[in-house]
This record gives sequence, C-alpha cells and structure tokens, in this order.
Amino acid sequence: MAVSISEQVRDLLKEKMNRQLLYYLDICARCGICKDACHIYRATGRVEHVPSYRAEVLRRVYNKYLAPLGRLRRDYGEVTEEDLQKMYEAAFTCTGCRRCMVYCPFGIDITWLISMEKAVLSSFGRVPEELSMLADAAVEKGKSIELYREIMAEQIKSYEPELRARTGMPEASIPIGEKGARVLYVALAGIHSILPAAIIFNLAGEDWTLSMFEAANYGYFSGETSKAAEIAKRIVDEAEALGVKEVVITECGHAFRVMKYLAGGWLKRDLPFRVRSIFQPFAEYLRDGRLKVHTQITEPVTYHDPCQLGRNGGVYEEPREIIKTICTDFREMTPNREKNWCCGGGGGLVAQTDLENYRAETGRLKAEQIKATGAKTVATPCENCRLQLALLNERYDLGVTITAVTDMLVEAVAVPAAKGETAEEISR
Amino acid sequence: MSEHNVDLELDLRGLACPLPVVKASKSIKDVPVGSVMKVVATDPGALADFPAWAKTSGNEILDIERNGSEINIFIKRMK
Repeated sequence: MAVSISEQVRDLLKEKMNRQLLYYLDICARCGICKDACHIYRATGRVEHVPSYRAEVLRRVYNKYLAPLGRLRRDYGEVTEEDLQKMYEAAFTCTGCRRCMVYCPFGIDITWLISMEKAVLSSFGRVPEELSMLADAAVEKGKSIELYREIMAEQIKSYEPELRARTGMPEASIPIGEKGARVLYVALAGIHSILPAAIIFNLAGEDWTLSMFEAANYGYFSGETSKAAEIAKRIVDEAEALGVKEVVITECGHAFRVMKYLAGGWLKRDLPFRVRSIFQPFAEYLRDGRLKVHTQITEPVTYHDPCQLGRNGGVYEEPREIIKTICTDFREMTPNREKNWCCGGGGGLVAQTDLENYRAETGRLKAEQIKATGAKTVATPCENCRLQLALLNERYDLGVTITAVTDMLVEAVAVPAAKGETAEEISR
Repeated sequence: MSEHNVDLELDLRGLACPLPVVKASKSIKDVPVGSVMKVVATDPGALADFPAWAKTSGNEILDIERNGSEINIFIKRMK
C-alpha cells in the first residue's frame, strides 16, 4: 500500500524525534516576539515570514500524530502537496541567522525546526537545485581527489612569486598536503582565499599546509545531512592523515561552525585536532609580535558579524581585535554581536539566483545599519555576506567598499603590492 | 592551445564562493546539447571541482589547459 505524504512526514519526524525537538514543538506559545527579531518579517510584514510560523506544517503533523490527544483533534488535516510547498518556501527562504532564538523567551531554536523541515523535504527530493548540485560535486571531488593532487600542487606554485614579493621572503611557499605540519588551513574556492592567508602564515612563521578541499559545505545548507557529513569527512580524513594539531578554517560564515560544532556529531566521533577560525591565530600573531603593522588604515571602517560565525559560532572579538589594531577609526554597527542584524544572504540564499530581489528587500535593516555608521569600508569574513552586501551596496546606494578582514591585514603588514600584483588583481 | 569550437566563454576569475560552479551550471543550459563551453578560472581547486561537477551533472570535460595562473576548462554539454 502506498504511503501517504502525512505518513511519510510522521515516520521521519518519529525517527528524528529527540528531547530538544519535542521541547521546541511543544513549548512555543505563539507570542510573536520572534517576528520583531526577524529582519525578513520586519522588511516584508508577511505572516509566512514570522519565524514561528515557518514551522507550522511540521507542528501540525506533530500535533496530529505524535502529541498526546492529537488524534482526537479533527481540525488537524492531512499533509498535502500544497503543505509541502509551503514547507519548502518556509525552509529555503530563511537565512538561519537565529536572531529569533536570542529574543525568544523560551529559547526556541527555530532553525532547528527548519533543519527538520529540510530533512523532510529532502526525503521527498525537494531541495533547491543549486544547493544539491554543489553538494553532489563536493562529494564527488572527495572520491577522486588523488587524481588531481599533483596538478593542483603545480598550479599553486604559480602563485608563489607573488607570495614572495608580498612577504619579502625568498623561501616563502604554499605547502599543500604536507605531513607533520602543525596547522591545516582550509580555504574556499579561489586564490583570493589562499594567497592572503599564505602571506600571513609565512610572515608569522607558522608551520602550516593547505587543504586540497574547500571549506564550504552546501550539504549543510540543503539539509542533506548524509552529504554534509561526507563533505566534512573529506577534511577530517585529510587532517588525520597529515597528523595536524589544528584545523584552521578560512574567513567563512558556516564552515567554521560546521567543522567546530557539527562535524563530530555527524561522524559520531571526537575530532583529534583543534578547530579554530582563521581570526584566532591571526589575532595571536599580532598580539605576540609575530606580525608587524607598518601601515594603518585611517578611513572609517565598520565590521559586519556574519550570523554563522558570530551568533552561531561564538567568534566576535578576534576579528575586532585585528581591525582595531590596523585601523584608526573603527565604528561599531548598532546593534552588534549576538544582536546584529543578518544581511539577508545566509542559509544558502545567495546561491539561489532567483531570490535576488527577495534578498535585496530583506536586507533593508542591514543597509540602514551600515549607512548610520558613516563608514567607508565594511569588513566581513563571510563570502556569502560579502556577495549580499555588494547587492545592498548597489540597491541602497551605500557607496562603501566591502572587504575581507584578511585582505586588510595583508595591506597593513605585508610588503606593499606593485601595481597589478595584488592577490585580488591576480584573481580578477 | 586547444582547438575546440567554443560556443560560450565564461570568465570566472575572482568570483566569490559559491558562484563559479553555480554560474557554470546555469550557463551550460544556454548552449545546445553537444556544444562546448569554455570557463576561465584562477582557482587551483577548479582543476578538481569542474571534473567532479561534470561527472555529477552528466557533462564531459574535453580539455584542461593551464596558462600561468589561468586555467581554461572546456566542457561539452552532454544532456
């Protein structure tokens, strides 16, 4: 007998049920405090954008099939195709910023419920095509990486002349897959994520090696946990094989959180190395005098806390410490840190090209925050945030420069670039 | 130099994560099946990323050329 949609959702919910999920489903009083904490609802005013409402279909299935006395309630209908569509829109238009959780009087983590919705949708094969494609390609890359090891290492050598020029060190290099190194650095796709960090590691005299893999994990965004685990496992296996003491994750929103807090759970084991965000060793190098600042940035700079790195990853102070060391006019946005407004690009939304107008509309509060600082430069570590801020810069006419923190640090401590030789210019 | 009849050339140099593969994936739909798209990248990871993407999306890598810091990848749309 064919299983109905309701039964399939019910069975998955039963399988995944734990005390945390049960608590979140049971306890929500629908007080609506979360709506005022949400940048999306504040911009659109639409009921389907109220955070607690995003979990409504899931809650209905729970109430009908699993909650005490739920079966006696005749007003709980079956789950329909239309409900699945509503669930899809709820799950894949939320940035997962978790600001609603900070303000919820019960501490309900709505993104946990949304992760559950993504798992349900994934079981029906309903996942945004772009996110699923990115996750599939990353899993496949893990299977065939040995075929590309040598050619990638050769290619990376082609960037070393620039590295040597910017460090003034003839011996500076970008080691890849080197056994026994202390640190494994995991960058993002793109030389702009490798070369600036390589300059800093070399200047600081770090014993490091570059990962063959990129830090991003699109299985995490698509809600396909088995793919997310496989993508994370590539890096864990590499770190274990090389015997590194520490895995340092590049400037990225979600990648640090995934490796630090989620990968061990997915793989059901403790990771035998320390995981840090790139800012943590870089701030240490400055503090310990391993990097010397020769040029300070004098124009006003503000910092955007990526939700995944700040609110969801706990890294607030080190990027500020770096910026305050190299800039003379640092201006905080208000509010900031755990109460910072999301820019509107997280949760994999920037990869979904059909959501551009939605992202521009829902980034309004962030645009207003930036404008209020009067800053000329916005530094932020997450590439998704930077793409989204570039969209806001254009749509709200902010007139700011958007940059990575490491790029600013390089300008402050490295040998000044000859024209046409910066990492950014090389990569463009 | 490769001598492929290129129907579409895509400059992916310097694009932020995750745009290179997303753009390639979208753009290949703009050329007819059997046509060739060339992508230009500077990311060393592209050497492994594009073959992996081609395999999972059912397309074919015809050739990869390395020219200093630039990488040219020729992809044939198969379906």
